[in-house]
Amino acid sequence: MVLINLTGIQPTGYTLLAGDAAPKEGENVAVAVSRLLTEDGAFFSTAGGVGAVITTGTPFAELDAIADKLTFAVIEFPAFGDGRGFSLAVRLRKDFGFKGEIRAAGPVIPDQALFLLRAGFDTVEVAEERKPAFEAALSRFPGFYQSDFGGQTSIAHARHTVARHTGEGHRKAS
Amino acid sequence: MYAYDTYDHAMVNARVAEFRDQVDRRMKGELTEEEFRPLRLMNGLYLQLHAYMLRVAIPYGTLSADQMRKLAHIARKYDKGYGHFTTRQNIQYNWPKLSETPDILQELADVEMHAIQTSGNCIRNVTTDQFAGAAADEVADPRPYAELIRQWSTFHPEFSFLPRKFKIAITGAKEDRAAVKWHDIGLVLKQNDAGEVGFEVLAGGGMGRTPVIAKSMREFLPISDMLSYLEAMLRVYNEQGRRDNKYKARIKILVDAMGIDEYRRQVDAEWEKIRHVPIDVPDEEVARIKAFFAPPPLPVLADDVAEVDALADSNFIFQAWLANNTGAHKVPGHTHVTISLKPHGGIPGDATDAQMDLVADLADTFSQGEIRVSHEQNLILPHVAKKDLPTLWAKLDEAGLGTPNAGLLTDIIACPGLDYCSLANTRSIPIAQSITERFDDMKRLMDIGPLKIKISGCINSCGHHHAGHIGILGVDRRGEENYQLLLGGSGAEDASKAAILGPGFNEDGIVDAVEKVVAVYLGEREDDESFLNAYRRLGPDVFKEAVYGTD
Repeated sequence: MVLINLTGIQPTGYTLLAGDAAPKEGENVAVAVSRLLTEDGAFFSTAGGVGAVITTGTPFAELDAIADKLTFAVIEFPAFGDGRGFSLAVRLRKDFGFKGEIRAAGPVIPDQALFLLRAGFDTVEVAEERKPAFEAALSRFPGFYQSDFGGQTSIAHARHTVARHTGEGHRKAS
Repeated sequence: MYAYDTYDHAMVNARVAEFRDQVDRRMKGELTEEEFRPLRLMNGLYLQLHAYMLRVAIPYGTLSADQMRKLAHIARKYDKGYGHFTTRQNIQYNWPKLSETPDILQELADVEMHAIQTSGNCIRNVTTDQFAGAAADEVADPRPYAELIRQWSTFHPEFSFLPRKFKIAITGAKEDRAAVKWHDIGLVLKQNDAGEVGFEVLAGGGMGRTPVIAKSMREFLPISDMLSYLEAMLRVYNEQGRRDNKYKARIKILVDAMGIDEYRRQVDAEWEKIRHVPIDVPDEEVARIKAFFAPPPLPVLADDVAEVDALADSNFIFQAWLANNTGAHKVPGHTHVTISLKPHGGIPGDATDAQMDLVADLADTFSQGEIRVSHEQNLILPHVAKKDLPTLWAKLDEAGLGTPNAGLLTDIIACPGLDYCSLANTRSIPIAQSITERFDDMKRLMDIGPLKIKISGCINSCGHHHAGHIGILGVDRRGEENYQLLLGGSGAEDASKAAILGPGFNEDGIVDAVEKVVAVYLGEREDDESFLNAYRRLGPDVFKEAVYGTD
C-alpha cells in the first residue's frame, strides 16, 4: 500500500492497535471507535496521538464524545460505493470542527480522488499500482458546483466574484 | 433556455476527457469489465441484452432546436437511425459502439449536453412539467430551480455514492404533470398568503417493487432555503438508508421505517445546523439563472382564428388533435403542442433521425426554437401561435407525427422491456402495439376520453404501471410471459396506487382484458365521468366480474 496525499498535509505515522493491546507511552496509535468509547481517559493520556478507525456503519453522533481528543481519523470503506464514508468525513469537519488528518482506507477507486478531497479527506491508502491513476484523477476537473471542505468555493460563488472584478468568466443571458 | 458559460463548458469537456481515458483503459485491457462497470454506469452507459445503451440527459426535458438536430445526427451517425425518449425526459441510444461513445459525448458537449448522472446511485436528471414556462395554470416556472438542482447535484462530493439512485421532480403548476408524488423528493412551487413563492416539499415516494406515494415534509419552504434543505434531506438518507439490500435501499423504505415525522425531525435538526452555511448560491446566481428562463417575446394574438375553426369543422382528425394535443398557454393566441410519439402500432417514445430533424425545424419556425420532452414520452413545442396550427399539423401529419391521441388510451407509456433490457421478464413494446392496433379508431378513443395505460416489463416499474389508470405488469410465470392487470393508479395531483385485479393473462388475453375493462367503464359511467373517477366510484368488483366472469 502507498499513501496518496490529497491536501499536502504531513501524514501521521501510527501503530494500529489490535484487540485490547495497550498503547505505549507517547506512541501514535489508531484504534476502533468502539474501544475509544468504552475505555476511560487513561487511554488518551498514555498514547501520543490517538486516531479513530471509523467504520462506515458508525453513527456520526458517536464521534461527538471523542472528536475533540482525536489527532487523526481513518475511515474504512468496505466497498467503494459505500457513500457513508463521505458523510462521516463531512460530519467530522462540519459538526465537530475536526482539523486533523482524515484518511480513507479500503477499496476506493481512483475516479473518487476528487470526491474524497472535497468531502474533507487528506490522504488515501491505495494499492501501489493504482497510484498513477489516482494522481491523474486529482487534476482532472478545474472546478465544481459545490463549495467544499478542501477549501474550494463553488462555481456559483466564483462566477460572481470574478464578474465583480473583471466582468469576465460568465456569459449573460441573451 | 439555460446557456453554458466557460465554467459549464469546462466541466462537461473534462468529463468527456475522463471518460475517454476510462474507455481507452478498458479497450487496452487495463480495466476489466468488472472495474469498468461502475465507471461507465456513472456516465449512463449500460450493457443491455444485445449491445451497449447510452442514456443522454435532457435536463428537465428542455431542448433547443440545435440540440435536437445533434440528437438526430447522433442517431444517424452512431446508431441505427433512431432514439428512444424515456420517462425521465431523457433519450436512449440502443446500439452505440463502446469505442465511439467518447466521440458521442464530445458531440453532445459541443451543444451543451452530457450523460452525467443518467445512471448510478446518485441524483438523476431532475424532471419537471413539460409545459413549464408555457402552461396557463402555472404559479412559477420550475426550470430555474431545476437548473440550480442540476448544478448543485452534479459531481456532489458527498452524494454521488448514495444507497440507491435518487430522483427529484419539480412542478410549478396546479395540475401535476410531473408525477412529483412518485419521486424520492417532490417539489411543488406554491404561493403563500403573503404572496411569496416557495416550495411544498414531499419525500419518500417511488415505484419499483414497493410502490409508495410521497408524504409531505413541509408545506412551505422559502426558495432561498432550497439547496440547504435538500442537502439535509440527502445527508440523513445517505447516512441511514439501507445498503444491505438494493430493493430496500430507496428513501421510501427509510421514510416508512422511521416514519415521516422522525425523518422530518432529523432533517430539520440537520438543516438548522447548515442553513446559514453558504451552500445556497448567491442571490446574483439565482438571478443569473432565472434570466435564461425569461418568457419569450410572444405577441398577444386573437384566441379565435377563423382558419383553425374552419379546418376543425371539416376535418375530424385535426379537430381531435386540437382537443387533445394542444392546451392553454400563458399568452393569448398561443398554445403548446404535444407531438405524439405514439402512432398506433408503433413503438412508444421512438423517433427517427428524420423526425427529430423535422421537429427541430418546426421548433425554429413555430416555437421560438424550443422543444420539450414529456415523461409520457412525447415531444412538445411549447410556444405556438394558434394561427400557425393548420400548417404545423399538416407538416407533422405528413411525417407520421400527427397522431391526435395525447392523453388518450393509446398514449401509452411502455418500458423498453425484453426487446432491449437485461432486467426485463417480458416484452412491453408488443403489448403497447397490440393495444393501440385494437383501439385504432379515433372516434372510439375520443368517446373513451382521458385514460392512461402504463406498461412495465418487470417489477422495477420503469413503465410506471403503479400509476396507470390501467397498469400492466409483465412477470415471468414458469418461463412464460404473463401480464398482470392493475386498475386505479394515478400519477397526477390525486396520486394513487393501482391495484391488481386478479390473475394474469398471456399476450392476447391482456389486450382482451383491457377491452373488457373499457367496456365496463363505457357502460357504467355517469355524464362526463372519467375512467379514473368511474373506477374510484365503482370499485374493482364490477370490472373483475367482466374480466374473469362470475365465480
